[in-house]
Amino acid sequence: MTTRTQIPLGRLWDTWGVTALLVLLVLCTPVIAPGFLEIENLQSVLRESAYVGIVAVGMTFAIASGAFDLSVGGQLALTSVVTLMAFNGGGTAAAVAAAITTGLLCGLVNAGLITQLRVPPFVATLGSLFVFRGIAYLLTQDGPRTLPYEQVDSPFAKLGSLNFAGLPVPFLIMAGVFAAGWVLMHRTAIGRRTLAYGSSPSAARFCGISDTRIRLFVFALVGVTVGIAALTYITRVWTADGSAQDGFELKVIAAVVLGGTALKGGKGTLIGTFSAVFLVSVLNEVLVSRGVESAYQRIVLGCVLIVALTIDGLRTRFAGPGSFRRALRPTS
Amino acid sequence: MRTKKIASVALLGMLALAGCSDSGETAATSSAPPADKKITVGFSVYDMQYEFFQKMAKGTQDAVAAKGWEIKLHDEKSDENEMVTGASALIDQGVDLLIISPFKPTALGPIIAKAKAKNVLVIVNDIGGGGTPYDAIVISDNAGGGKLAAEFMDKQIQANGGAGKNVASITCEPSATYAARRNAGFKTEIEARGYKVVAELSGNSKAEEGYKVMKDILSKNPDVAGVFSCNDPMGVAAANAIKDAGKSPVTDVVSVGFNADPEALTAIKADLLAATVAQDPTAMGALTATLGEQALNKQPIQFSNEAEREVFNPVTLVDKTNVDTAG
Repeated sequence: MTTRTQIPLGRLWDTWGVTALLVLLVLCTPVIAPGFLEIENLQSVLRESAYVGIVAVGMTFAIASGAFDLSVGGQLALTSVVTLMAFNGGGTAAAVAAAITTGLLCGLVNAGLITQLRVPPFVATLGSLFVFRGIAYLLTQDGPRTLPYEQVDSPFAKLGSLNFAGLPVPFLIMAGVFAAGWVLMHRTAIGRRTLAYGSSPSAARFCGISDTRIRLFVFALVGVTVGIAALTYITRVWTADGSAQDGFELKVIAAVVLGGTALKGGKGTLIGTFSAVFLVSVLNEVLVSRGVESAYQRIVLGCVLIVALTIDGLRTRFAGPGSFRRALRPTS
Repeated sequence: MRTKKIASVALLGMLALAGCSDSGETAATSSAPPADKKITVGFSVYDMQYEFFQKMAKGTQDAVAAKGWEIKLHDEKSDENEMVTGASALIDQGVDLLIISPFKPTALGPIIAKAKAKNVLVIVNDIGGGGTPYDAIVISDNAGGGKLAAEFMDKQIQANGGAGKNVASITCEPSATYAARRNAGFKTEIEARGYKVVAELSGNSKAEEGYKVMKDILSKNPDVAGVFSCNDPMGVAAANAIKDAGKSPVTDVVSVGFNADPEALTAIKADLLAATVAQDPTAMGALTATLGEQALNKQPIQFSNEAEREVFNPVTLVDKTNVDTAG
């Protein structure tokens, strides 16, 4: 705890820092990436980020509760495969139901492993990542599941590429998920308890917050966000198999961490996550348009992540106690 | 305060790094010419990390430049989402012709749908068409390559003293339909030359499975005089299994692979593989530009397989006599 003026500035940075960087980067684009601000390019950036952003909402809750969900890549592959099978068998309604149900079931499996078998979340979800992907591979042994070209005019096939009032539908879905996530985190008891639990599980237990309930809530929520993301993903690429979006979990976790959600739990910022998702994709877009090789693109993104974590580390070192109490406060 | 400063400096550093790098081969996104009617071609590449696709890109670029056209390159980076996003962006940027070497052929649907809506022609280069209404697809003459392998094997078996009439064939994974044509072409030709394919087994395109399959073949049919593998990882692995069984992969069991991978060329030089079949990605790239020009000029395309709108690009056999000039 230092002087009174410095703490609000620090907390302001926690929530809005990445957003400020995103704005700065976008303001630079006319010089460093001409053509970036063209409407179709902006739509493309908004559209391609949606499925990462949607799962990042669930992951923000998971990390704020002090746990990773490493299995989201496997969940996305499996959910996408099952959803395409459901669509080909029973149409749009079946596809939507299958997506949400499969995602939710994956989340419940994780929650079960963690709360009933007492496996640490990191290990449990690392294991289930392989299991979910494995099942997706089994279901696609005879080739990827696809949305056949004959369905080109069906509303489901168009969902991923449709615009509404100039904004891509997947982005609007993502914005809706973020809004719902914000309400859940800051305006409901379970949301505040999740932050309190992440800040200090033992203190939370002492206050009567149930481990099982928090884990169940967080991992089920991740699963549901994967279900929604899978819908935007497969209506965009029309295909899925066991290898779909390999490394997806790292993209999602990187966005959440870059956004300012504390790795040790107790603090989650959905505004930060939202901006970080776009910071990564705008940076990527800039690098691509400058003709930077993909190997260097990875290095730059890796460096951005390391810098963000360094900042997180510095902030934690200078931050005072009291985050547990802060977490339980109605607003943050 | 301090952390904010660090972050700002760091990010500006990144931006500077991004800003300084050479824009290389990829065209900037805003270079579409509004006034003159110069043709612009977009080429979405499977993954520029692989030599095969680097050569394909070079062949395409050179052929497009020779026509006085402009080209925009996009790297799919082995990612179906990047493939759809980048190829759609090329269409948005107003290309007249889209050439695409798809990481996931089954993800071509949304791209073709967009291209059709904007009247952009699509030529697919290799991998597969995913059952979509593309204008043409260029693939290596896989059946022809299998035939070349059979011709070579027959000659080599005769040069070896030629008593054996039993040969084996190792296939890729069942879903690789183009690759399956290699084994089919091989079988037709080798049987026409009086041989019998006593074993036709899948190694799922993988080296370790190719090794295992060859061991099984050798134990059940110790008299096989030759083996054709659908790709080089399996071809080299099968040759290793032959060597480990105390036989020569050139003079005892004639081993032929497919692809002319560097490991196969090395093996041929060391007598650890008899031959392989080389695809020509540079020529495939050039062929897509030629077909694109025909399609743009509404000229009919000479398909090798009309039903699937396929155009075959010739392949060549690589053995010890020409291995130094291959690759």
